[in-house]
Amino acid sequence: MKNARLVVIPLVLFLLLVVFLFKGLFSDPRELDSQVQDKMLPEFSLPDLMQPDVIYTPDSLKGKVTLLNVWGVWCVTCAVEMPYLTQLKNEQGVHIVGLYFDQDLDPDFGTKTLNRVQQEVTSMLSRYGNPYAFNIFDVYRDTSLDLGVTGAPEHFVIDTNGVIRMHHIGDINERVWRNKVGPLYNKLVAEASTAGLKTGTEKSASADNGIDASLNSTRDAVK
Amino acid sequence: MKHFFITALKIIAVGVFLLTGKAYSAQDNFSFDTPEQRAVFLELTAELRCPMCQNQNIADSDAMIAHDMRRKVYSLLKQGKTEAEVIDYMKARYGDFVHYKPPVTIATLWLWAIPVLFVFIAMLFIVKRKSNQPPQDMAAKLAKADEMLEQDKE
Repeated sequence: MKNARLVVIPLVLFLLLVVFLFKGLFSDPRELDSQVQDKMLPEFSLPDLMQPDVIYTPDSLKGKVTLLNVWGVWCVTCAVEMPYLTQLKNEQGVHIVGLYFDQDLDPDFGTKTLNRVQQEVTSMLSRYGNPYAFNIFDVYRDTSLDLGVTGAPEHFVIDTNGVIRMHHIGDINERVWRNKVGPLYNKLVAEASTAGLKTGTEKSASADNGIDASLNSTRDAVK
Repeated sequence: MKHFFITALKIIAVGVFLLTGKAYSAQDNFSFDTPEQRAVFLELTAELRCPMCQNQNIADSDAMIAHDMRRKVYSLLKQGKTEAEVIDYMKARYGDFVHYKPPVTIATLWLWAIPVLFVFIAMLFIVKRKSNQPPQDMAAKLAKADEMLEQDKE
């Protein structure tokens, strides 16, 4: 009886340890709990990368389901995923917006000119395809910090109200899109389109009323 | 021999000094209003963890995110934010992960509880074993001694 306990207890402890370590083999130490999940986009006011006169705010991303792609020309994985993102844009009409930040543009020193950055971006996009509707230039990388970005590439799925619904660290390839990002994106688009249809019909209904009203008024006038 | 030993120690000491000097060279780009502010900055950059190179603090790490976080810590301190406020600012963006001191929650409580529990259980185990065994042994030994005495008598 006592001997049985002496065997069983260490065995159970050992098995627990094995399970724990085995799980550790497949856990991803880079996985972080995103703090922005289900929150509104942080406030920002940033210029367009190509036309610095155009200023974007979180409102610029409202009204459309957006895949916000954090990237830079210095990022190798970004170049790797770019053709696939372009394919997503062309074949499925995915609305992709870039949040661009530059590594060499050290705000403390400011060695690189905007011109040079734009040149690099243009040449990279012409080589790998341009998936972006537009690019927001995070000059001082403050917005990236607010979003909890640790590097590039990272992706945020943002719904029509400007709420962040998913923070994906790492690249998007076919597998990631099919299993993780795509389903949520398509669901949000479907939700948005049904909601849009509703408001759309309401709008047309009110437009009809408007026509009726104007008809009535002309009739009144005729009378 | 003794001299050699002392010189070796000196070299090691200088080496260590140089290494730590390098590790905290992050402060060099920043100027502070008071020495206290500098001390707080050094403390914060030492205990905030880089989300990119996960086993380095942001003072040691050369990743871009660590640069940016140092810059942010500096500007927050310059704005007059306290140490706790800066830590909360970073936690709001990168989670509890970013601070080397984990908060006590149900999930992390075990970090403190398990060693204490282990010692406690082990002590119970030892005490129980000690109090059980000796009487048996003593009884057996006494019996054996008695036997021997009996044999001697004969």
